[in-house]
Amino acid sequence: MKIAVCYKLVPDEQDIVINGDHTISFDKAEWKIGQYDLVAVEAAMRLAEVAGGTVSALSAGGKQLENSKLKKNILSRGPVDAYMIIDETMSDADSYQTAYVLAKAIEKIKDVDLVVCGEGSSDMYAQQVGSQIGELLQWPSVNAIGTITLADGKLIAERMLETEVEVLEIPIPAVISVTSDIFQARIANLKDILEAGKKPVVRWDLDDIGGVPEMSTNVLSVLAPPQADRRRVIIGGDSGDQINEFYEHLRKEL
Amino acid sequence: MSRVKDVWVFTEKQESIAELCAGARQLGERVTVLAVGSRDRIERIIAFGADRVFYLGDTGADRTVEDYAFTLSKLIEEEAPDLFLFGATKRCRHMAGRLAARQRTSVLSDIMEFLTDKDEIQGTQMVYGGAAVRTLASKSATVFSVVGSGVFTSLPEDADREGDVRAVDFVEPAYRVRCMEKRERGGTSVDLTAAKRVIAVGRGIAKEEDLKMIEELARLIGAEIGCTRPISEGVNWMGRERYIGVSGVMFKPELYIAIGISGQIQHMVGCNQSGVIFAINTDTAAKIFSQSDYGIVGDLYTVVPVLLEKIRAAR
Ligand SMILES: Cc1cc2nc3c(=O)[nH]c(=O)nc-3n(C[C@H](O)[C@H](O)[C@H](O)COP(=O)(O)OP(=O)(O)OC[C@H]3O[C@@H](n4cnc5c(N)ncnc54)[C@H](O)[C@@H]3O)c2cc1C
Repeated sequence: MKIAVCYKLVPDEQDIVINGDHTISFDKAEWKIGQYDLVAVEAAMRLAEVAGGTVSALSAGGKQLENSKLKKNILSRGPVDAYMIIDETMSDADSYQTAYVLAKAIEKIKDVDLVVCGEGSSDMYAQQVGSQIGELLQWPSVNAIGTITLADGKLIAERMLETEVEVLEIPIPAVISVTSDIFQARIANLKDILEAGKKPVVRWDLDDIGGVPEMSTNVLSVLAPPQADRRRVIIGGDSGDQINEFYEHLRKEL
Repeated sequence: MSRVKDVWVFTEKQESIAELCAGARQLGERVTVLAVGSRDRIERIIAFGADRVFYLGDTGADRTVEDYAFTLSKLIEEEAPDLFLFGATKRCRHMAGRLAARQRTSVLSDIMEFLTDKDEIQGTQMVYGGAAVRTLASKSATVFSVVGSGVFTSLPEDADREGDVRAVDFVEPAYRVRCMEKRERGGTSVDLTAAKRVIAVGRGIAKEEDLKMIEELARLIGAEIGCTRPISEGVNWMGRERYIGVSGVMFKPELYIAIGISGQIQHMVGCNQSGVIFAINTDTAAKIFSQSDYGIVGDLYTVVPVLLEKIRAAR
């Protein structure tokens, strides 16, 4: 089975700087792989290990994709190779544009049996791309997958909805989005990281995959919400007296 | 003048039908609910505020809700609604994404507020884990949106309301996923938003049985218990309805006590409107401290037992 797992590079939200006018800046932000995409990579690897097959990593984004540490990071988690569609327009792409470009790339990679996506990206968290890729490829797609196995060429999966669990039979090729806790993402060891540096990375630009449709939304503003002022009375240790001081503050609120 | 005339609604749960009908009324002129399930529900849907119900059919052994995607897609093509609202469940999210892709557009997700007085539909949503609020305008002919829960308030049910009902022919899906079995998913239905006092725990708690001490503290001060997402979805020590944050419960209790929680933005947006915030954390540099009123740099296993003693003694 040939599996493509999608991931997105996102600015670390802990590094966001809020400007005086409430606009936000990422100029100082480190980039990282989306938290739930790492889980998707793990799910793809586990399935490939059990059912046989290979995993390719796939991403569309801006120039951060070129970052060699991030390339090694994704490949150290098991994929045999990585495909990247790099163009600045993709760093602000909406979910339809992203799904469109990824679907085109999946067709170009050829013979992909299964596309695995995370629950949602760490930055926008719209939880849409997997569902949209499925429709663009005209393959069955499902979200919220919490377990997967392969039996007789079909996937048997459990879908974790709010109040019920569905046991599904999914014909392949298909697109699935997995839950954030289907597996714990692995921690790569030094050997994996060294080997990752030797794995092939295929770079495409938008022309290679036939362009990208226009954005379907206009972003009018991105503003930090006002923060409540806090007293920030911090007691520096947990000796008996210090706990007592903390308790006295608490007691007044009870 | 608003260009929004036809607003469609698709959702699973009875309560959210009422909410979304109220929202659709507010935003547009004619409200149409796309209904899957038992036919008996139609009258109530009209009572909740629908002008029209397109009845798609029921689900059963050989037909899932998802199988209606093709039927819905054909209807969208024929009728071109201005706005299509979906409930904030996983199933609705998936349906919205699929239908929007078929119309070559994105979904406005988790919209907290809509503006329709311009000649376009705008919505606001939280992004970057809640660090920012983004306002978007959709450029598509039919605007698709997943509406955050609780954004609209249901109107009183009106049994005298009249509406049109149209039965829609099923379109055979070109591809489908088969559902072999369904099971109830366990879990209590606690409503944290109603709690005045909440104690929330994070990964600073080392073992599940240590929650007993937290439960005792909660009992003594009359608080509900909540947690961070990893405590619920990572280790499953608490139900999903108890985790607080951008993808969980967002609320404003009077008192919030964060124990062993680092204070990541995704968590804090759920509770940073609380009246007063207390924090217990071993790490001086933990982000939670700059977002608290009172904090103690200490081991929860030292601090909580002493607090228990003092609160008991004071009673
Ligand atoms: C798209 C997206 C959505 C998310 N949505 C949510 C959400 O809605 N809600 C949510 O909570 N998270 C959410 N998260 C996850 C979030 O980013 C954090 O990972 C999570 O909130 C951290 O949980 P935590 O504070 O329990 O764990 P950690 O960050 O691991 O913090 C544990 C803390 O405990 C302290 N500690 C350890 N031992 C002790 C001790 N003995 N005594 C006292 N303190 C101790 C440590 O110093 C540390 O600060 C989301 C993430 C993403 C990517």
